[in-house]
Amino acid sequence: MKNGIRRRDFFKTIAAGGAATVAVAGCADRPEKLIPLLVPPDNIEYIPGMPVDYATTCQECPASCGVVIRTREGRALKAEGNPDHPISQGTLCLRGQASVQSLYNPARLTSAMRREGEKWVAADWDAVEAEVAKKIKGQSNKKAIVLMTSNRNGTRQKMVNQWLSALGAAPKVVLESLANHNIREANKIAFGKSELPVYNIESATYLVNFGADFLETFQSPVRNNREFANYHAVNEKKAAKNKFVNIAPHVSLTGANADQWVKIAPGTEAVVALALAGEVMRRSGRGDGNLKGFLSGYTLEKAAEASGAKVEALAQVAKEISKASSALVMAGGTLVASETGTAAQVAVNILNHVAGAVGKTIRFGTGQQLDISTPTSEVLALVDRMKKGQVKVLIVDGVNPLYHLPKSADVEAALAKVETIITLSTQWDETSRKAHYALPGLHTFEKWGDANPQSGVESMIQPVMAPLFPVKSSEDTLMSLGARMGLAGFGQGQTFKNYLMNAWKGKAGGGSFDAFWRAALQKGGVFAKVSGGGAALSGGATKMNFQPSKLNGTGLVLLPTPSLRQRDGGQTFNPWTQEIPDPVSHVVWDSWADINPKTAEKMGIHHAQQIRVKSPFGEVVTTAYLHYGIHEDAISIPLGQGHFGSGSKAADGHGVNVLDLLPAATDKTSGEFAYLTTRVEVSVTGEPSFLVQTDGNPRQDDRGIIQMMSLEQFAKGEPPELPHELESPHYASDFYRNVPRPAGYHEPYRWGMVVDVDRCTGCSACVAACYAENNLPVVGKERMFLGREMAWIRVERFIEGEGEDYTTLMQPTMCQQCGNAGCEPVCPVYATYHNPDGLNAQVYNRCVGTRYCSNNCIYKQRRYNWFEYEFESPLHLQLNPDVSKRSRGVMEKCTFCVHRIARARFDANDEGRDMRDGEVTPACAQTCPTQAITFGNLADPGSKVSRMSMRDGEGTPTGKRVRQYEMLESMKNLPAVTYLRKVTIKNNEKEA
Amino acid sequence: MSAITYADVNRDILKTMVRPKPAYYLLISGSLFALLIGGVSLAIQTDVGLGLSGISHPIGWGFYITNFVFWIGIGHAGTLISAVLFLTRAPWRNPIYRAAEAMTVFAVMTAGLFPLIHVGRTWFAYWMIPYPNQRMLWTNFKSPLEWDVFAVSTYLTISVLFFIIGLIPDLAAMRDSATGTRKKIYTLLSLGWTNSYQQWLHYMRGYLLLAAFSTPLVFSVHSIVSFDFAMSFLPGWHTTIFPPYFVAGAIFSGMAMVLTIVIPLRKIFGLEKFITLHVLQSSARLILFTSFIVGYAYMTELFMAYYSGNHFERSLFYFRLFGEFSDGAPFRDAHLFSWPSLAFWTMIFCNMISPLPLWRWKIRNNIYALFIISIFINIGMWFERYNIIVSSLQRDFDPYVWGSYWPTIIEAGITLGSFGFFFTLFLLFIRAMPSMAIAELKESIPAPMKHKKAHS
Repeated sequence: MKNGIRRRDFFKTIAAGGAATVAVAGCADRPEKLIPLLVPPDNIEYIPGMPVDYATTCQECPASCGVVIRTREGRALKAEGNPDHPISQGTLCLRGQASVQSLYNPARLTSAMRREGEKWVAADWDAVEAEVAKKIKGQSNKKAIVLMTSNRNGTRQKMVNQWLSALGAAPKVVLESLANHNIREANKIAFGKSELPVYNIESATYLVNFGADFLETFQSPVRNNREFANYHAVNEKKAAKNKFVNIAPHVSLTGANADQWVKIAPGTEAVVALALAGEVMRRSGRGDGNLKGFLSGYTLEKAAEASGAKVEALAQVAKEISKASSALVMAGGTLVASETGTAAQVAVNILNHVAGAVGKTIRFGTGQQLDISTPTSEVLALVDRMKKGQVKVLIVDGVNPLYHLPKSADVEAALAKVETIITLSTQWDETSRKAHYALPGLHTFEKWGDANPQSGVESMIQPVMAPLFPVKSSEDTLMSLGARMGLAGFGQGQTFKNYLMNAWKGKAGGGSFDAFWRAALQKGGVFAKVSGGGAALSGGATKMNFQPSKLNGTGLVLLPTPSLRQRDGGQTFNPWTQEIPDPVSHVVWDSWADINPKTAEKMGIHHAQQIRVKSPFGEVVTTAYLHYGIHEDAISIPLGQGHFGSGSKAADGHGVNVLDLLPAATDKTSGEFAYLTTRVEVSVTGEPSFLVQTDGNPRQDDRGIIQMMSLEQFAKGEPPELPHELESPHYASDFYRNVPRPAGYHEPYRWGMVVDVDRCTGCSACVAACYAENNLPVVGKERMFLGREMAWIRVERFIEGEGEDYTTLMQPTMCQQCGNAGCEPVCPVYATYHNPDGLNAQVYNRCVGTRYCSNNCIYKQRRYNWFEYEFESPLHLQLNPDVSKRSRGVMEKCTFCVHRIARARFDANDEGRDMRDGEVTPACAQTCPTQAITFGNLADPGSKVSRMSMRDGEGTPTGKRVRQYEMLESMKNLPAVTYLRKVTIKNNEKEA
Repeated sequence: MSAITYADVNRDILKTMVRPKPAYYLLISGSLFALLIGGVSLAIQTDVGLGLSGISHPIGWGFYITNFVFWIGIGHAGTLISAVLFLTRAPWRNPIYRAAEAMTVFAVMTAGLFPLIHVGRTWFAYWMIPYPNQRMLWTNFKSPLEWDVFAVSTYLTISVLFFIIGLIPDLAAMRDSATGTRKKIYTLLSLGWTNSYQQWLHYMRGYLLLAAFSTPLVFSVHSIVSFDFAMSFLPGWHTTIFPPYFVAGAIFSGMAMVLTIVIPLRKIFGLEKFITLHVLQSSARLILFTSFIVGYAYMTELFMAYYSGNHFERSLFYFRLFGEFSDGAPFRDAHLFSWPSLAFWTMIFCNMISPLPLWRWKIRNNIYALFIISIFINIGMWFERYNIIVSSLQRDFDPYVWGSYWPTIIEAGITLGSFGFFFTLFLLFIRAMPSMAIAELKESIPAPMKHKKAHS
């Protein structure tokens, strides 16, 4: 094992400490003998082979979803949503699922280190800490000491503030690439409330979105996904569906879920929003005279002219907003973050005001802490100070300014001027390589803390395992440094845990703190409901300059977009985020540039051709991706790639960093980083490109793989007509129903699944969950090019419709556990067989690897081990002991998490009963933020899956199948997975 | 053959076993080199993993299974010539049947390697053999692959037996002329043959029985091989025409391989007297006939794909012929060149067009033309299997998992090695055993008489 941690030591450490009560045990003297954990220490309740769950909080983004970490033998295996937590409500996104990979990141900093020249030398912790304390203390000008930290809320920020003020240093600098200053500033201007509101998507009846990627990274994606699915899913009883209109120059995953896309030119959000506001006002009569006068200057015609959108389309949206009982307009993300981004947000606020959303679907006073970052303008000013040599000591705590600030800001030169840089980061990254001292921090799952994403959500962070490496949490390091320097309030031997408990003492109320603390740890925090309220529009709102800001350079408008998988690039170190395809483009391990095919044709660019993108500030070489979901005058490159100095194989050398093209510009009003500032020249390099896409074909060629129906058809109860060869569904045939089954077969269980395509947003959390649960190896770009990814579940994506008038269909597909499978009869050695529960079980040890089963699988859901796959140390510690790791030459596949079924069966057998409905949940269904996947027993007519699937022959028919379909059902493979059709809303542009 | 005497037969045929021409050494060193490349490739693949081949998801079978079917098909002509033509008393078979039979044995041996090469865990391939074991594991007799195990092993057993039985009188002849170690080996192999009347009586009975036993194998083995495909769900595989189509194709390719082997053999060892043009042109006729059956099968497949109206079948066959069926624009580049359609048209040209000149007597009697056509057919029949196996896997039901296949150097090396294996064995056989049936050749020439004009 390369990284210096030995399995023995690891277990010994665990045994010595015990996960629940461990503080900082990593540096302890190591015992000499290996003591198996058959007799565990007294202070932890531990049964060998049984998982222990700990509630904590995910810190991959500021949303701070509550998670439950499953541990086995003292190591964290998998993150799942905490059902008690109000933000995540038991579900988790892709990045949250991948958080265990950042815990076991092979590029983690493993000990205190000191840089000597260009070489990093491991050193004794205390020695480095003493040296660092001396350096900080010796700094005469305390204002020349700067601490940069990450955008994570909670008590730690209070401690950091206290530390800095005790030292007399400058206030902390909080870095965040995807900040929300524009929104906060616009709320201050429009409503007099300098805060972030909570968007109550669930309670809306009409949703308009100006480019906010709320299903990907915007604010709280898990909550947004859940609320959006509840908002957008068809109401089966009323046969109604809420419409979602996306007004943006680019279609990301969020846009792909929209019922209507109004394509506008980049930067014209403000004029469009104001024109809509004017029209809504005219129709609804809301708003006062002043506003009316102001808005009369913004007509739909003018907006249409400026944005390139159709007047009819805008008129229709305005009409629908004014008719809606509870409309909501969202705006945000990088697409509206121009130099006049605040103005755009103010315009949207005005629209929300006239639409009556404020106080209903947009609520203030909920104490949103999703963005506590320092405005980028101030960060850039700091960089300037650094360049001038005015910063002597820089403490970098879990942030990476060298990567996250554009090259044009020249952070590298600034860092070179700083005398002493101390990194407290958990892993190597571009910035920590430039530091002089490393006092590495612990991962969230190894330390104490809390998060407070909004009022009423006091989320607990507790260590779920002993630290992997002999390092301290950054909080403890700071406190220890404080003690060494004799700062006021930082006594010797104090830990952040004590600090945290003291901070929480005030929350305990009357009862015993110990009981309160234990309850909070168990539950994952303390939660209360905060509903928030409205705000009145102030007159200042109309005083902004709403015209699009001027862009630098010539050519196409560059639209940097956040990545669903890597957010801003902070998650790129986790290999799953690279391996799981982007659900819209299906590109892996790379950057790409979305270009409209019409533009591409004019410029002579083909799909997957290598292009050079050049702005006045820099250039990158990437690959063209022809996509109708982008404005003709724009080009979009996702954030998050192009790491170069992290030492992580997953991140370094893949793709390009789009920030290299951008100037260090900010919004004039709020100081937020301006992403929409630049035009770029695009040219073909002529070099061969290597773009890897996992989709075999973007169109499904009328094969009914993913099906949809219109709302009218749904209301009438008429399933859409299928092509001839897809007809003759099995439930219409007597043959299979009358085939006698052997006794005990499918009794009492026939496991099945229902996937609601209408709820699925394509967020790919299920894929990440499957990787985590089932020990799926990461194969890398070259092997993915050959189709050798090992994903047992994939989100298939097909494009329906021609040109810009297209619909994106997405659906998770996994092994369909056919009742009449193709794989089973063809295996010569019974490695795959039909088990009594109806699963197409796979016995890895029996497989000789003929691959016939895969050839004969009509869904192609089987994966083959082409090589012996390695899990780079220490990532191998994440492997789930419940699932065997497959060797080379063996076929593997989804079995509905059969080990979970087995565990539930044991429990049920112990209690002498059958498994209950909902007792078993496969990893994919468990994590699904929109709860699109339902799992259960088809043999039980009362189970949820039976009721939802309305299947014949398995359970009891419960009515006419309207939305239900099985993939390729005409093949009569009797799949156990029923899909529910996506319901589309007809776009009645002409009615307006 | 009136000019040939018993002495000629003995001399000319046994001559192949003494010092041959330099061309022979050139051929065998080429074959050994190919075998070496194949061996090294296989060793690397076994060490590292099947990932070194171009086989991927969803194309689970590629060059290896193509080679398997190709070599099994090659074998069929040998059995056809030795058994079926024996039973139907076609005398032109006599000069070539021994070579054809050897070809069968070696081709089946070569073919039998490929299932072992292509499985992921070669070291556990014996699990496919049903034998009572302490783990209480049994094999799945529903699997066409399991049928293959039996079909191929039966075929190999019968072919080897038939081959060895046929060799006995000739081995005895060689025993009589050989010296030293060779003599010992031939003595052992000739099983005490004394050329007695009694022995001939039993021998002929036994030979007839084995011929009768082999005949159905000509039809069954390749039918069963075709079941690997026909029994599956895959468009392009799931076809009832496959068994007869495969059998005809096997005979077609086997006869072509016979020509490919026999023509140089005849040249190098100067056997023109025995392997006359009549023999070659009779083979050519059989080739022409089977070419039409194969061509008919191709057309039927295409017609059925169209006529069934099945969308999956239709788009697959469109893909085979012309490349992309579904418009992937703008997300895909237009493919000007489509490898699968190249394979298809190669197959059509080689198997349907190139044998057409055989209608002409002149062509049939021109050994150069025959040799070239036989090479074309070998190529065409290899591509036929490639076409069936790979293109069907490339475009199956779910367009999301459509893939492409490109062989790697390892696969090419192993494929080359299989030719090396086959030809090495064959060339060694020529040196070690009589490559033509001495006894049966003697049967077909007039008995030596004191007077020159005894029989007409």
